[in-house]
Amino acid sequence: MTTFADTRVERRRRPARRTGATVARPGFVWAAPATLFFLLFAVLPLVLVAVLSFTDWDGLGAPQYAGLDNWKALIHDHTMIQSLWLSVLITVLGVAVQTPLSILLGVWAAGHQRNRAILSAVYFVPLLLSATAVSILWRALLDPNFGVPSQARWLFGDGNLFGKQASAIGVLVFVGAWQYTPFHTLIYQGAARAIPQVLYQAAQIDGASTVRQFWHITLPQLRNTMITSMILMVVGGLTTFDTVLILTQGGPGTDTTISAYYMYEQAFKSFDFGGGSAIALVLVLVATVISLIVVKVSGYDKMRSSSEGL
Amino acid sequence: MKKRAWLSRAAAGGVTLALGLSLAACGGSSSGSGGSGTFKVLVYGDASNKVEKQIVDTFNKTSKVKAVLQTIPGADYQQKLQTIINTKQAPDVFFNWGGGSIAPFVKAGLLMPLDDFIAKDPNLKSKFLPSVFNSAVVDGKSYGIPMRGTQPVLLFDNQKVLSDAGLTAPKTWDDLLNAVKVLKAKHITPIALGGGDQWPTLMWYEYMYDRIAGPGLFEKAMGGDKSAWDSDDSRKALSQLKQLVDAGAFGSNFDSVKYTDGGSVALVAQGKAGFELMGSWYYSQQQQDNPDFAKSGLGYSSFPTVSGGKGDPNDVVGNTNNFYSVLKKTKYPDAVAQFLKLQYSDEFVKAQMAIGNLPTTTNTQNFLDTSASPDYSKFQFNLVKSAPSFQLSWDQAYPQTASEAMHTAVQEFFDGKIDADGFIKAMQALPTS
Repeated sequence: MTTFADTRVERRRRPARRTGATVARPGFVWAAPATLFFLLFAVLPLVLVAVLSFTDWDGLGAPQYAGLDNWKALIHDHTMIQSLWLSVLITVLGVAVQTPLSILLGVWAAGHQRNRAILSAVYFVPLLLSATAVSILWRALLDPNFGVPSQARWLFGDGNLFGKQASAIGVLVFVGAWQYTPFHTLIYQGAARAIPQVLYQAAQIDGASTVRQFWHITLPQLRNTMITSMILMVVGGLTTFDTVLILTQGGPGTDTTISAYYMYEQAFKSFDFGGGSAIALVLVLVATVISLIVVKVSGYDKMRSSSEGL
Repeated sequence: MKKRAWLSRAAAGGVTLALGLSLAACGGSSSGSGGSGTFKVLVYGDASNKVEKQIVDTFNKTSKVKAVLQTIPGADYQQKLQTIINTKQAPDVFFNWGGGSIAPFVKAGLLMPLDDFIAKDPNLKSKFLPSVFNSAVVDGKSYGIPMRGTQPVLLFDNQKVLSDAGLTAPKTWDDLLNAVKVLKAKHITPIALGGGDQWPTLMWYEYMYDRIAGPGLFEKAMGGDKSAWDSDDSRKALSQLKQLVDAGAFGSNFDSVKYTDGGSVALVAQGKAGFELMGSWYYSQQQQDNPDFAKSGLGYSSFPTVSGGKGDPNDVVGNTNNFYSVLKKTKYPDAVAQFLKLQYSDEFVKAQMAIGNLPTTTNTQNFLDTSASPDYSKFQFNLVKSAPSFQLSWDQAYPQTASEAMHTAVQEFFDGKIDADGFIKAMQALPTS
């Protein structure tokens, strides 16, 4: 510890002497607490889960080494493969629904209309509620006999929203969007505010309409923000859990059993911690691959300022 | 120098903080268990806790070693129990369903056989109805003392809905099918079903299999002979169930309805549905949600007979009772034994009766008139007393590891997602031990 502290002290003294040009990089010590937490709460559990995936454990006795049994079972597990597809599907639908909505709302909220502040505050409310509360709320609102569907038969039919795969997924995507769109709206609002006014002024002189300005100035200027927001949505989508737990419990049957829920079900409801750990690792691998692809495709790794030359 | 000291102190502080947090994250360690002279009683949290609290208070009045009652909200009970039972946070005495719910703990050597207690105080066994007591016997040793009321599954109805339609509680399967037809024509959901919870659906299978094949089929399957699921009786039971579902008995949106959020309960109470098949705790649920309806509008009957079935029409299914089991490592076995004795006391029986539960002690009969609803208590008492077989709920009889897959299969067959072959295959794939 003292060696780190020494160098750290040396380095901090330098700018104090006002030597000017050299900007000191923060020392390792400042990263130590975060690193420690990361090791303790992310890396260590991950390693333990990897170990557990090769064992047979019901949480009671000592884990028994089981070799590749859990992994072999997983390869033939129809539910597992289906759950990955469902995770991806819910993520993609989430991004597809939330992105246009939050861009429009965000750009609108960045303006200076009357009522804007009040309405923006109202739109923001869902984000302040816990996902659990939101899920319980919607479960009650969508009850086929006592909720909205019972009063709107023309739209909902018999109201069997949780009994069919398509509508159950629809509910999950809708509730996710209802809760998280405000967050992304906020990101876009900030980004839209940061677009230099000179661009719009120049466009106005050239006679561009509002719609045209949106397509040719606002959207391109929001590109980096879109990537940031989408990556957050992908991460959030792949780790969706609480809404599924409360709204559908993976049902009907296994029709909405996404990977994160399937992992929980195996580990904590069927008490097969080995199998659950294997699913968790698959989820980690899939999520890693997807984020790598997103980063590569979107150019997030070499993201450049969009305000160059302004 | 001053600065250096500050930095290293800060770093040390950070480490301490991190370790402290990580310890805290390991789950409220070192609380409880260390305290002198207490043992922990862990119970499923619901309306019945009133009685458990009272009994613990009574015990603590005279005992030097004190009992501490802890409750875990129902839906999470089994998960939490399994994760703490082999740790320092484990309770000394805990609530369970007997049968498969404690078998894994017995196998892991965590539970104390209660035979020594019983040798010292034979009442701990003889004061309870044998059929109930025996459902917590594993490998010939007793592991549980009944601690609540018996919970047979009954067919409840809304009396007004039935009389308006000119119907009475169905005695036979054909009566039930007829009632379904009549109620459907009146645009009332014939039978409320909380399909979203899955276990209420399972109750239909339990009764259907018992009525058609008798209790033997399930026993055989549980014993490891999985061909039982593929027998003619099994297929017959499935086809009758299918017939009921296809007749629209449960409406079309039962998978979006839950019992646990009060959905199906309200359907019956408000007259939007005619029947509901549910455990006897249904009465206290209605009493809590719709007191007037529970008092004057709620009807009940045993499950209808099925002609040509091999099962005795007096058979019941459900949960025989809940049990207190004791951990082997408890520090106060003598105090725990004293505590268990209270479970057959007059005070216990009266307290259970007052909230509509039907205890399974031999002195229960003396107190039937003190019940919240004497008629209902007597009906249940006679039903259970005269039942040749009391089939434990399938998901409690099977090991916990099987229950998810079982629930899924049960739901998918009602949905039409799998056919009889699919259901049979799913049941055969369940682990039996």
